[in-house]
Amino acid sequence: MIAEILFKNITKKYPKGPEALKGIDLEVGKGELFTLLGPNGAGKSTLVKIATTLTEKDSGEFSIAGNDPGKDFTTIRRTIGVALQENELDPSETVENLLRFQCRLFGLSKDQAQQRADELIRAFELETERLKKCETLSGGNKRRLHCALALVHRPGVLFLDEPTVGMDPEARARFWQVITHLNKTEGVTVFLTTQYLEEADKHATQMALIMGGTIHYRGSVTEFKKMVNSGEQLTLEESYLAFMTQSHQPDFATN
Amino acid sequence: MSTSRLIITRSILKLAKQPTAPIMGFAMSLFFLLVYNAGIGGIGHLEAFGEKGYLAFVFPITIISLAMGSSAGAGQTLNADMQSGYFRRLYLSPVSRRMLVIAPMLADTFSSLFFTGIILAIGALFGLPFQFGLLSVAGILLLSLLWALTLCGFSAGIMLRTGQHQSAAIITNAVFPLLFLSTTFLPRELITSQWLLTVSWANPVTYVLEANRFLLGGTSTYEFFLSGLLILTITALSSTAFALGSTKRIKV
Repeated sequence: MIAEILFKNITKKYPKGPEALKGIDLEVGKGELFTLLGPNGAGKSTLVKIATTLTEKDSGEFSIAGNDPGKDFTTIRRTIGVALQENELDPSETVENLLRFQCRLFGLSKDQAQQRADELIRAFELETERLKKCETLSGGNKRRLHCALALVHRPGVLFLDEPTVGMDPEARARFWQVITHLNKTEGVTVFLTTQYLEEADKHATQMALIMGGTIHYRGSVTEFKKMVNSGEQLTLEESYLAFMTQSHQPDFATN
Repeated sequence: MSTSRLIITRSILKLAKQPTAPIMGFAMSLFFLLVYNAGIGGIGHLEAFGEKGYLAFVFPITIISLAMGSSAGAGQTLNADMQSGYFRRLYLSPVSRRMLVIAPMLADTFSSLFFTGIILAIGALFGLPFQFGLLSVAGILLLSLLWALTLCGFSAGIMLRTGQHQSAAIITNAVFPLLFLSTTFLPRELITSQWLLTVSWANPVTYVLEANRFLLGGTSTYEFFLSGLLILTITALSSTAFALGSTKRIKV
């Protein structure tokens, strides 16, 4: 496996806070649709923030597509697309203008920016919202635009942190259609964190489970289910809950 | 167009599209100018105010309060992006982090300079004297540019370090009392309190006011002008360095 995202012994402690990451070793292969699961406060968002250059690690090594963000954050930012939990929209701009501007920031010419904005407006079904200001959009449409903005520069790696929160079922289905298409046809690596485990179950092939700042499982989704359920046909959500219950047993920590 | 130019142009256009804060700051400064001049302008006949009267004496405070009440004091452009969360989207683009801070600072400074120009024109209509003609105008614009940059830089730096857009107000709140601990309304000769006199000598705002007075009515000295210019140059450079240094500690 060629590691597209590589974390080696990553640690992070917040000032006056807990040790969020305690030596994370994790590899995500090129073209994988990978999901990172774990309870609230497990360290998922911290790891995503480090990967997307929003937070600095305390120690360890980290690279994306072979690039070290500490040395060349510009290359990393051209390589990754990021859609985090909170919407990051300029409320006074129209959908079309915001997409065009984002394209220009990534070096596209005016014509290329218009073309790419049109493509994304079509892909995320924002045609009727094109000329509306972001502040007037519904929650679901804001979310769609937020995700579309992450894709303007055709990134090779996508970080999606709870991407479908606030979307209606139809918008979620459309969103996943776009993402899986990118993953399968263009080989885009997807790093997903979500609380909607049915989405992870349906779309992700590889996963890791993080708890208390350490990785407790890394492998395929299918293997995880087998490992937890010993042959029973359970969903990822059921398997995850079973794993969490086991992990709270007194002998779990010593095994 | 380079990404730096894109970001600077955007910051200026944003401010032009949403000019409420700078206009409010301008209106407040104009209001103070009219009220001070109409209400206590009569004391300008006292010898200590010089030949040019109270308007030339009190005018510098309107320039200082203009930057405080307008976009510069609030770091408005950066503030709006942080409030909406859009700053993080910009931060995740390949644009240099320094440019993300410099662009809104420049926009706020330009805005402050623009309104200073207008208020100078209004002052001229009211008979405001300019001791050295156009050189005085240029000098006042330079002083107000440095003052606006000082406020913008510290406001931006604090916002970036705390991650709280509300913290921009810390700077204006800190500077506001200094206006009243200075020679804002009366010349040193008419201040009777010894402690206030002592404090006013140590207060940098005094030198900025006196520098402006030198250029307007000539009621102050060249040495005060140089001191004011030097102080503002140091504070503007320090605040810019503080803001740029904050890019390493941005909380997004």
